[in-house]
Amino acid sequence: MTLIGRDESAKSALGRHATAAVKVGLPLKVGSSVYNDIQHWLIEEAYTLDEQRYEEWLTTVADDIHYLMPVRVTTALGAGFTTSPGMAHWDENKYSLSRRVARFLTEHAWTEDPPSRLRHFVTNVRVYESDVPGEIVADSAVLLFRSRGDANHPSIVSAQREDVLRLTATGYQLARRVIMVDESVLRTQNLAIFL
Amino acid sequence: MQQAILDAVRRGMIPAHIYNDPHVFEQEKSGIFSKAWLFVGHQSEIPQPGDYVVRRVLDDSFIVVRDEQGEIRAHFNMCLHRGMQVCRAEMGNASHFRCPYHGWSYRNDGRIVGLPFHKEAYGGEAGFSRKGARLLPAPNLATYNGLIFISMDPSAPPLLEYLGEFAFYLDYYTKQSPSGIELRGPQRWRINANWKIGAENFAGDMYHTPQTHTSVVEIGLFREPKAEKRKDGNTYWAGRGGGTTYKLPDGTFAERLRYVGYPDEMIERMSQTWSDDQRRVIGDDGFMISAASAFPNLSLVHNWPKVEDGDDVLPFISIRTWQPISENETEVLSWFAVDAEAPDRFKELSYKAYLMCFGSTGMFEQDDVENWVSLTTTAKGSMAKRLLLNSRMGMLKDNSPVVPPLTPEEFAGPGVAHVGYGEYNQRHLLNLWADYLESGPPQVDTPLSIGTGDGVPGARTQS
Repeated sequence: MTLIGRDESAKSALGRHATAAVKVGLPLKVGSSVYNDIQHWLIEEAYTLDEQRYEEWLTTVADDIHYLMPVRVTTALGAGFTTSPGMAHWDENKYSLSRRVARFLTEHAWTEDPPSRLRHFVTNVRVYESDVPGEIVADSAVLLFRSRGDANHPSIVSAQREDVLRLTATGYQLARRVIMVDESVLRTQNLAIFL
Repeated sequence: MQQAILDAVRRGMIPAHIYNDPHVFEQEKSGIFSKAWLFVGHQSEIPQPGDYVVRRVLDDSFIVVRDEQGEIRAHFNMCLHRGMQVCRAEMGNASHFRCPYHGWSYRNDGRIVGLPFHKEAYGGEAGFSRKGARLLPAPNLATYNGLIFISMDPSAPPLLEYLGEFAFYLDYYTKQSPSGIELRGPQRWRINANWKIGAENFAGDMYHTPQTHTSVVEIGLFREPKAEKRKDGNTYWAGRGGGTTYKLPDGTFAERLRYVGYPDEMIERMSQTWSDDQRRVIGDDGFMISAASAFPNLSLVHNWPKVEDGDDVLPFISIRTWQPISENETEVLSWFAVDAEAPDRFKELSYKAYLMCFGSTGMFEQDDVENWVSLTTTAKGSMAKRLLLNSRMGMLKDNSPVVPPLTPEEFAGPGVAHVGYGEYNQRHLLNLWADYLESGPPQVDTPLSIGTGDGVPGARTQS
């Protein structure tokens, strides 16, 4: 099913404050100025998340962020839904994201001590103008490779993302992110990372 | 099962390898998961006729469905003909389930309704009796407060008898008003940890809270786990389950529920719904339920974090199962539960509180699982077979308790309760584990001959 970030965000009671921007028109041409700016932003973000520089990452997140990753469910073709009603893995605003970041900065977030080795592979980027001035909608595919310990099996999380990026005086900020994970049963011990 | 393992467990000394041993796991499958009552879902997940969820018990897939008459059933998800799964979705609504292989179809109450070319292929009823043929029902099914349990043992005791006095405590989580809870989720994810560890932890491990969960106090998410507060709580064991509590500051029943964030209208309904003793535990004795487990693999949690800037806290409830995949892998199914009559705003914030604390992204849960994976990995080797882990906390060497149990005047709840740190409940849980393993697998019905006219399967549904 086609991911429409606005609609997923609106299904959550915690997403009411978020921008309702939707894509307008065809994807912008690869190599166009806006496309390049957004691609640049996504690449920089991937390195920031790989390196777990989360305080820095938070400065690129808008104060009215809705950061949502629904729980996927296997449903019959034609059921009309592929997410668990009223349930998500993340359904975050700036406050809850900031608490998660603050926790990683304590010396007692054992799940990331020793830290995971992370690699966010971001690809298949599509960029659209939106119906909200100053807001761009971007699709991307993300594959997270996460390795812990010496010889444990690495975990892999694959997802589609639809982002709304808002142009501000200091550059683009992430105003809404909907993450459609490709598994119904996650095979990673937790989501003590960001996608 | 080697007698030495059972004997050690009963002394409170745990052979470390039981947390990662394929032989032990084989015996758990037949001795525990083929006999005990196992939680598979809640009525609120399937409110309308035809609503279904598919849940597993070990390797067996069951369609848990509300039929057209409103009755809740659990059908073994296997076509009577060639054994295909008749339902390959995880949830949905269906009047019928049709096998994609040869087109046999079944009503949502399990009865066979369509058998293509019945006359030409089988000679009609003379060759294959459709009458009475139905998807195989779970050997036993029963509900309590809308919680749906399955037992693979046709002669399992009644569910309420099985749960025993633990039902008293289940009400705090699942019956805060006459309407009971609504369940959302589950989040599902797999961890490389043995299933027993989570059950033990939720049952009674107050001792880990100040250490494992230091970070959530430091960031202001939860004010309670500080060491000096946690040890003022008690652990109780009653019937087939037990749990932990926090000691709350002085106050009345209503003041203490307000302290953990309940609005007055919910407190009023709790007051009317709960028994005198259930109210006394909070109002007179000052204990508030937190984590709990029912044997073997159902756990519950009730905490009250801060979900927004400010001083207000908000309570949430989670129900989960530790579904064993192997001796070293567990699928966690973690639901968010909330009273159906709660105000909408409360439901929203309680859901947020759940996500911040427990589940796949929960900040409490993240650090728990890291420990459990590490424990499981280490339990695999030969050195672990030379080590008996000391699980005797709360007991002196002569087996007398470090602190006496609470008297009925100090604690109105049923069962046995002790204030402070102790591994009473982990021992209760593992003693049950030992008893079940010792008594061996259940008597199972002879296999049914489908279509021959004899041995029509009958569902045992307990009310």
